[in-house]
Amino acid sequence: MKLVSPVVRKALCLALALAGLFSAARAGAGSIMCKPNYDYSVEVDGSYPKNATLYQSDAPGKYFIDVPACKNGLLMDLHDKRVVAVPRDQVKAVNGALQVAEEVSPSATAYALSVDGPIVAFQAEDRKVRILRCLDRPPVIGEVELNTLVADRAEYREAMKAYAPDAASIEKMNKYGRKVQLDVFFATWCPHCKEYMPKFLRVMSEVKNPNIKLNLYGVPKGFGVAPGPWQGRNINSIPTIIVKIDGKEITRMGSQPGATPEVELAGTFNAVN
Amino acid sequence: MSTPMESTAATPASRETSAPARRGALAWRRAAGHLGRIALGLIFLAAGVLKALDPAEFAHQVAGYGLLSPRLSTLAAPMLIVLEISLAIALLAGARLLLSGLLSLALLLFFIGIEAYGISAGRTESCGCFGAYVQRTPAQVIGEDVLFAGLAVLALWGLARWSGLRGRRAGAALAATVILSTVFVVASPYLPIDDYVTRLAAGKTLEDLELQDRVPGLAEGRHLVALIDVTDPGAARSAADLNAIAARPGSPAVVGLTPSTEQEIDAFLWSSIPAFEIHRIDRDVIKRLYRRLPRFFVVESGRVTAVYDGAPPAAKDLLSSEAS
Repeated sequence: MKLVSPVVRKALCLALALAGLFSAARAGAGSIMCKPNYDYSVEVDGSYPKNATLYQSDAPGKYFIDVPACKNGLLMDLHDKRVVAVPRDQVKAVNGALQVAEEVSPSATAYALSVDGPIVAFQAEDRKVRILRCLDRPPVIGEVELNTLVADRAEYREAMKAYAPDAASIEKMNKYGRKVQLDVFFATWCPHCKEYMPKFLRVMSEVKNPNIKLNLYGVPKGFGVAPGPWQGRNINSIPTIIVKIDGKEITRMGSQPGATPEVELAGTFNAVN
Repeated sequence: MSTPMESTAATPASRETSAPARRGALAWRRAAGHLGRIALGLIFLAAGVLKALDPAEFAHQVAGYGLLSPRLSTLAAPMLIVLEISLAIALLAGARLLLSGLLSLALLLFFIGIEAYGISAGRTESCGCFGAYVQRTPAQVIGEDVLFAGLAVLALWGLARWSGLRGRRAGAALAATVILSTVFVVASPYLPIDDYVTRLAAGKTLEDLELQDRVPGLAEGRHLVALIDVTDPGAARSAADLNAIAARPGSPAVVGLTPSTEQEIDAFLWSSIPAFEIHRIDRDVIKRLYRRLPRFFVVESGRVTAVYDGAPPAAKDLLSSEAS
């Protein structure tokens, strides 16, 4: 026995499909896609939590801020000069980006923000949050381990992922038999270092050669007069990588547009061979 | 050893031969003097005119030495340019040669002193002696200035007894030079000569502009590039115009380039809310692309197709050029 005629059944299916499409379209229309922007750091109560991240949306002036310690996500609207709390169930991870519901409830908590030159500041859930360029964070000064540096600096960590070193050069470096010492003087406040160091660190993280020793030194502003391991080394610009082979300084490397540190290093090793 | 008798006998003959020789030596000395005068005049003229093409940049370079405040530099720079051009004309015309030669020598010694101070203060960037478009280090400049000072000495020595242009004619020539060069320095930034005196012009490639590695995204597709000073109060209006272009379907992608600092860019981002990327470019590189900001250009597949001064093009112009 047929309870529903085929025509009615088809019409119902069509209506259901249309309703599904409509609700999907509504959900898409009311959301913005946000990609992480590691040029900026999120300071929370004076410190820099590892996973606190600024996401830049495809809508000008709108940013999503993920502070893991906060119960809600934070949607910053520069046009309205406010930050709105977004329940985390309205934020979905999509291919490394976040889809954030833009139309939040009118009763959602909102916080006033202030712009002070290059810094945006607001207080959310009793936490003082500041958005500032990563170069303006307190710098790493003195000797530092590669892993510590990478864990501390999202801009280096994420840019390292994006760099693909030349495999042949890495292999040459891995097979090099002489004693190599690389003394690297860099600065976390230096834009040239921000471009160059992730490439160099990616290379050094891939090279597994016990003959190659890496010494990383974070340099302060005004390093020309500040005491530290950079003094007396004739460091005139940063980054400077002093390449020593068998204890003798062979060359110095620095950043330049389109630099490929592994090719340069492998070339130096090859020349000294 | 010659006796008095011998010397008495030799004197008339040597006088006969030494007079033409002395005249010849005098002619050589005078020719060398003219050579020094004309060479130094041409050098001063080239240096003055090149600086006058972009007096604001020369003022910036003067301020960079840290001896004068930026405000005083904007006054001193045009005066130095006018002085240089006036000395050039005086030397070329031979007007009041002793005075112009001594002033030239003093000016060159002053420049040498300034450059030496720059080196002692750790300055390594270009001096601005030949404007913004010729780049040399302070050490190279000192070498050149010593050579030029030699030309001034040559002119003073060779033309010590040369009268040259004097009196009212010399005064009139100098007064006219001062007036004309002052007018040129003041009017120069407004003259439509940017395509000739900067590297940015239609037909240039990203390699010509030294942007291929700095902004690799420009190599493909069509972009409207805005050269802006984000600290300029007018930059907010430019951002609004560019946002409107960026939002219009079919418009080229908008990219901002600026010599401003990262902090200045951030302040601009948070307050003016540009809907496009802004890249910081080293001033040494970007300065070769403009005399005054803002400046805009369209780049298609890595080649400049149009340049706009002062304001961005209308969005419809960009659409129509794409359609054509």
